[in-house]
Amino acid sequence: MSDIFTYLNQKEVIDSIVLIGSMALFFVGLFGLLSQKHIIKIFISISIMEISIFLLFVGSTFVKGYTAPILGDGFEKFVGMNDPIPHAMILTAIVIGMAVFALGMSFAIEYYKLTGITDIDKMREMRR
Amino acid sequence: MSSIYFIALPLLFGFAVPILSRFGKNSVAYSSAIMQLALLYLAYSMISMPNSVVEVIAINPPLGISLVANKVSVAFVLLFTLLMSLFSIYYLDIRRTKPYKDENKFFILINMLLASAIGLVLSSDIFNIYVFFEIAGISAYILSAYEGSAKAYEAGIKYLITGMIASIFLVFAIALIYIHLGSLNLAVLSERFMTLPSEMKLLISMLLFIGFGFKVEIFPLNFWVTDVYEGSSTLVNGLFSSIVVKAYLFVFFHIFYLFIPSGEYGSFLVMVGAITMIVAETVALKQTNLKRIFAYSSLGQIGFIFSTLTLESSSAVTAAIFIVIAHSIAKLAIFLTITIIEHSSGSVDISTLRHIKSPFVVTIFIVAMVSLLGLPPLLGFTGKFLSLKSFAVSAEFLPLTIIIIASVIESVYYFKLVGLLLDRESERKPLPTSLIQKSILSLLILILVVVGVAPWIISPYIDQASHMMLDNSLYISTLLGAGK
Repeated sequence: MSDIFTYLNQKEVIDSIVLIGSMALFFVGLFGLLSQKHIIKIFISISIMEISIFLLFVGSTFVKGYTAPILGDGFEKFVGMNDPIPHAMILTAIVIGMAVFALGMSFAIEYYKLTGITDIDKMREMRR
Repeated sequence: MSSIYFIALPLLFGFAVPILSRFGKNSVAYSSAIMQLALLYLAYSMISMPNSVVEVIAINPPLGISLVANKVSVAFVLLFTLLMSLFSIYYLDIRRTKPYKDENKFFILINMLLASAIGLVLSSDIFNIYVFFEIAGISAYILSAYEGSAKAYEAGIKYLITGMIASIFLVFAIALIYIHLGSLNLAVLSERFMTLPSEMKLLISMLLFIGFGFKVEIFPLNFWVTDVYEGSSTLVNGLFSSIVVKAYLFVFFHIFYLFIPSGEYGSFLVMVGAITMIVAETVALKQTNLKRIFAYSSLGQIGFIFSTLTLESSSAVTAAIFIVIAHSIAKLAIFLTITIIEHSSGSVDISTLRHIKSPFVVTIFIVAMVSLLGLPPLLGFTGKFLSLKSFAVSAEFLPLTIIIIASVIESVYYFKLVGLLLDRESERKPLPTSLIQKSILSLLILILVVVGVAPWIISPYIDQASHMMLDNSLYISTLLGAGK
């Protein structure tokens, strides 16, 4: 049993799990985007795609055994820290993604109030 | 002179709106216009500076964030502030008769749009570019849904979905760039990008192309554009066509020149631009809605600018900057004129052009369209002539042929519109235009005519700008040398 854990703890294995997992999630989202017709489901699918990219980024820049660079110990353990930049970037991107998602939901709700339509294929206010 | 004001002032204005709105009904509108004029003056004063100015924020590059104001970016900043302040003054007049509901938010949004467009142009950090990409996106989504009709919300939803997909691909590209190259600074990335393995380089370039392609409105990623133009209000269309797209175009090619100086994917991109142009112009022939026609015409012009910029020669970049200026000014004039027509007749069908009796509006319309078409002596001609010349010099004859065929198609529907405007047999109603409207529109047309007749007023500056845009080593040394 411990052999499995040592195998799983290797950096290459962790990296491939992160890569395969996040790409699988990406395609789940892409499938949802292409197959769903409900506006809110489409927004959710896009959010899943977005989150898969965040996972990939944070997962592949994370080094096992290192700590987050929180310098509460008087600069004694300045070595062996994880790169903080990806975390900062992903936090920003999550906030932006959430804001856009909320905006999209409010558009969808207002549109529903005006027309009663939730199906993206029936959105035909414009002439073709 | 600091370039941070261009981003900070419009954003601070947004925070000040609740306070300003207490000083009376007009105070927000007037202070927005005054602030934009101040930014215009600031941008104008930066034109004469001899060298690039790097504004370092807190930490020196490559670790910190910095803004680079060189000849190219200042030219774009000047263009954006000029168009936005003219737009604001024009809106001061419109709002007396047909104001938007909840106007204060409208002023916050247009200033956010200005700040983010300028931020896209000035940023030297790819993650900052992503942030401004999103701010510009969010303000544009809300502006397109601003009228609050079902049509407007549909446009907003379509714009938002494509924008979200674009941002996913951009974040993916940025993540891969950071994982493999360990930096976000454009100068550092420019030095390291060519060392990537070719598969990874192709993957990142494709992700960047898709991410920006949606926003730059390139075929086949531009299916949403005309619906957004039709659904959103005509005034806002002018901003989309003259400011937002141009900022995205600039930043796409800024990154393209820095990352791939050898022009590896140039032959692919030049065809993408040419195909965008011919598809858009062909579809435009069948349209009967003025807003849709000019949306397709914007797409066509953007395809033209796109394929010109992929040539990567300094004469081509000069030509492209000329076309950008000519197109932005002419399109803003056209959309502002359509606003007058829409407000008086309530329709944007092309048949309304038959019933206008206003020599002024007809003149503005025709001069702007002739400039878009690229006929002398207007500014559009200078850009088109230089561009076709640089195509011939680079021996890109297939795209050149496609572009010339597309221009012929373009002239067909423009002259159809001119024919409707000058039709003698129809009944015509006078179209009232106020003094402010007249002066803003005449100013825009005057720029087209004067600079078109005497392009040497701005051509030395644009020549320097295009050299600077292609000179990667200069960019790297200015950016990395900053603060030392």
